[in-house]
Amino acid sequence: MAIILSGEWYDLRDLANPIRELIDALGAPDAVDYVLWSLIAALAILIWLVVSVIAFIWIERRLVALMQNRKGPNRVGPAGLLQPIADAIKLLLKEAITTRDADRILFWLAPIIVFIPTIVVFAVVPFGESMVLADLNVGVLFLIAVAGIMTPAVFIAGWSSNNKYALLAAMRAIAMLISYELIQVLALLAAVLFIGSMNLQAFVSWQDEYNTWLIFILPLPVVAYVIAGAVEINRSPMDLSEAESELAAGYHTEYGGIKFGFFYQAEYMAGFAIAATVTTLFLGGWTLWGLEEWIPGWIIFLGKLYAVFFLYIWSRGTLPRLRIDQLMAFAWKFMLPLMLVNALVIAVEVVVWEETGASRNVALPAIGAVNATLAVILVIGWARVLGHGSGLQRGYRATLTREIGKIYYTGAEVS
Amino acid sequence: MTIKSEPFVVNVGPQHPSTHGVFRLRLTLDGEKIIDADMIMGYLHRSMEKLAEERTYTQNIPFTDRTDYLAAMTGNLAYVIAVEKLMNIEVPERAQFLRTIMAELQRIASHSMAIGIFANDCGAWQTPVMHMFRDREKILDLFEMACGARLTLNYMRIGGVSRDIPDEWMPQAHKLLKELPKRFAEYEDLLLSNEIIIARSRGVGVLTPEQAIAYSVSGPMLRGSGVAWDIRKADPYAAYDKLDFEIAVGTNGDCYDRFVIRLAELRQSLYMLEQALDMMPSGPVHQRLGTSTVQPGTQPIAPLAFRPPVGEAYGRIESPRGELGYYIVSDGGPSPFRFHIRSPSFINLTPLKLMAIGSTVADAIVILGSVDIVVGEVDR
Amino acid sequence: MEDTGTVVAFWILAALTVGAALSVAAVRNLIHSVVLLIVSFAGVAGLYITLSADFIAVVQILIYIGAIAILLIFAIVLTPRAGRLNQEGFMLLPALALAVLVAGTMIFVAFDTSWAISERDGFEETATAIGDLLLDKYALPFEIASVLLLSAIIGAILLVRPEGAEEGPE
Repeated sequence: MAIILSGEWYDLRDLANPIRELIDALGAPDAVDYVLWSLIAALAILIWLVVSVIAFIWIERRLVALMQNRKGPNRVGPAGLLQPIADAIKLLLKEAITTRDADRILFWLAPIIVFIPTIVVFAVVPFGESMVLADLNVGVLFLIAVAGIMTPAVFIAGWSSNNKYALLAAMRAIAMLISYELIQVLALLAAVLFIGSMNLQAFVSWQDEYNTWLIFILPLPVVAYVIAGAVEINRSPMDLSEAESELAAGYHTEYGGIKFGFFYQAEYMAGFAIAATVTTLFLGGWTLWGLEEWIPGWIIFLGKLYAVFFLYIWSRGTLPRLRIDQLMAFAWKFMLPLMLVNALVIAVEVVVWEETGASRNVALPAIGAVNATLAVILVIGWARVLGHGSGLQRGYRATLTREIGKIYYTGAEVS
Repeated sequence: MTIKSEPFVVNVGPQHPSTHGVFRLRLTLDGEKIIDADMIMGYLHRSMEKLAEERTYTQNIPFTDRTDYLAAMTGNLAYVIAVEKLMNIEVPERAQFLRTIMAELQRIASHSMAIGIFANDCGAWQTPVMHMFRDREKILDLFEMACGARLTLNYMRIGGVSRDIPDEWMPQAHKLLKELPKRFAEYEDLLLSNEIIIARSRGVGVLTPEQAIAYSVSGPMLRGSGVAWDIRKADPYAAYDKLDFEIAVGTNGDCYDRFVIRLAELRQSLYMLEQALDMMPSGPVHQRLGTSTVQPGTQPIAPLAFRPPVGEAYGRIESPRGELGYYIVSDGGPSPFRFHIRSPSFINLTPLKLMAIGSTVADAIVILGSVDIVVGEVDR
Repeated sequence: MEDTGTVVAFWILAALTVGAALSVAAVRNLIHSVVLLIVSFAGVAGLYITLSADFIAVVQILIYIGAIAILLIFAIVLTPRAGRLNQEGFMLLPALALAVLVAGTMIFVAFDTSWAISERDGFEETATAIGDLLLDKYALPFEIASVLLLSAIIGAILLVRPEGAEEGPE
């Protein structure tokens, strides 16, 4: 109320301000204020997450249906909008089956452990100018560390079900996650090197101050991070650990009912976490070149977040899946050297910029241009070095003939 | 020192998203590598060959729908050709063309499915299949117009086809033929040079021509191994000798070759259909069978029962999956003495073990997808 | 540690860490052991947070839960003995002796050192300070550690290389 009375109504843009006002009005001691503030913020994030997940289950199904020439859910509620809710109720009401030979404790624990990191990540994500639950100085590291908890959780899920598909998928998941965690770390390292801080809010204010988005300056890490993110949230073409056509449902094959629901929801939440990271670190977070003065920052932030998440929906609707050895080779042989070189180049650029003291109008476009060119050269060049484009990767059409009985076999090329 | 792991047995199927029915593949794995593969069939066995011995020749036609249920027309065709050979029946010209047209439409429908499912097995989440369904639905509409059914068609009759196509059939078929080239171009665009599909299928599941011939595989599998062989050319039936077409062959014998062959055959089928629709003569669509002994009277064309002369016949056609043959022995009675189906799905599946060993689980699924089996036909 | 919240947090975390660590040795199932070890690691990370060492805490989660635990899981899964039980082996006595020795040393050190209480309070930018030290004062130990890890990686690759690969071009 105080805000509205004082005429500074636009402070309502940042949802943290009215909540602060409210808490201040209570006049409780600082410790209570702190706890109250944390609780409200955590609850708000949770509610937002759940609502987003429910909305995106519908959105994804409709979008993928659009890509697949079908209608998607359209029976429950207007335009099928209530379908996710119906699904959620169904999952809740189903019997939570634990298979006989499963490791009972871990089988129950796994969905919960999977759930934790996906929520906790949002503690450090700035939704607006002061809308951040924990403004950690090591925010970027925190993101990676918390996402790393997913790895043992997925393994526990696969191992405790005592199912061969699940175990195979869990082993795949571990191999993939630890490989691509490395890529993620290196991608974020490049960004941290450039900004000089691991605080997420610092990233946003840097991008605001310099009137640019980091994606224009560091194109390669963004691409790498998005790809590694696809691995983490099991989206095609990296959905190997729940490869439907090979391993039934992967590591959660044996899960049903709400326990499966947890995995399902955790997958979306992890997707939002990746999208939130990309948005904050590379797409300017809650700022939009001054527009945040007029539009609430969190709306800008969520808009960008959903746009990034759409990439994953899109890839799911269009791309086939890679094989595990190809995926691992892609991480270790292709991405890792590129990211190492990239990190080195960015470190040099930072030092050169500091030493020469060039103005930002010269330095930033120059660095961006250098990095973009370098990214293209590195990607194409390194692919050539690894033998890509040698013909094995090229498609061809079948040979056509009118004669029968002839043999056209020329010898198999083994990739 | 190398890391040795325990062999790990995984059952792919009988309930599994990628076995195209109830087919079971027991894989012994070392890590992700397959060291042994066993095919276990029979989950869909319905004893058709034995059942057919108890029914009249005409009553057996619906069985042929239910072997290869994704290509019922060609199943019908192979069987009626076998019986016609047994009885020396001349089929009218218009019926021959109708049979050809229906068989080629069926090939487009079946190959579309095969390509879609293959892409699905490569991991593309349903999108290719759904796109392929679009064309298949239109073809099924045409079938429905011609015979009233969409999947189990029961259209061919001994001596011809069950009925002539209605008047509005031709315009709709022409309309479809105009639409399809655009669609095929789209599929080739999306799939032929799709990097991931290439990475997943090139050099995977290689079958050399010697092996292919030794396992007596047929159809796109055989042609994928580079052997130019097609019954439509080698032993023409229906109206194929009057049509101009090319057969597609591969050069590497891998999964990708089988896949591009199916894509190329879509276009060839279209080319054949264009010719056949133009050349279609008028006239009767069924040969009256004077030899019938039991005649219900009201049945206008195909008699329900008749007694072919003592003897045996083997009728074969190029079904979408390969050489589909029906071997029939008659003892002069109203039902066959012996009824055998040489089903391409079953025989094409036999080299699976050879192709799968040494590859990975993911590869095995792709190989199985490239073989394009219909379990109804494997188990019969 | 005058703050009540910190004290309460410390005792909860300490109990969690020590309890989980004891259970690691006590439970029979090896995978359960690993999970409890993860809990113990997380407890240690929590302890670091109460010490205002945010960077170390996050790194603890990243390295110990994200990497070391996974390594242990791999070790267990790849061990070619089907029964993954935490059996009593012939190493029981030596291990006990070693544990007593380590515990004794630590207790001695804990009581013998005159602990200085840090004057600063709340979070500071510890990452920058650590980075500066690593690349300045402790550059040599840092590099030596890197070399050690590198040699470990090369050794591991050599160990698991298939026998036949040795004749191949280097």
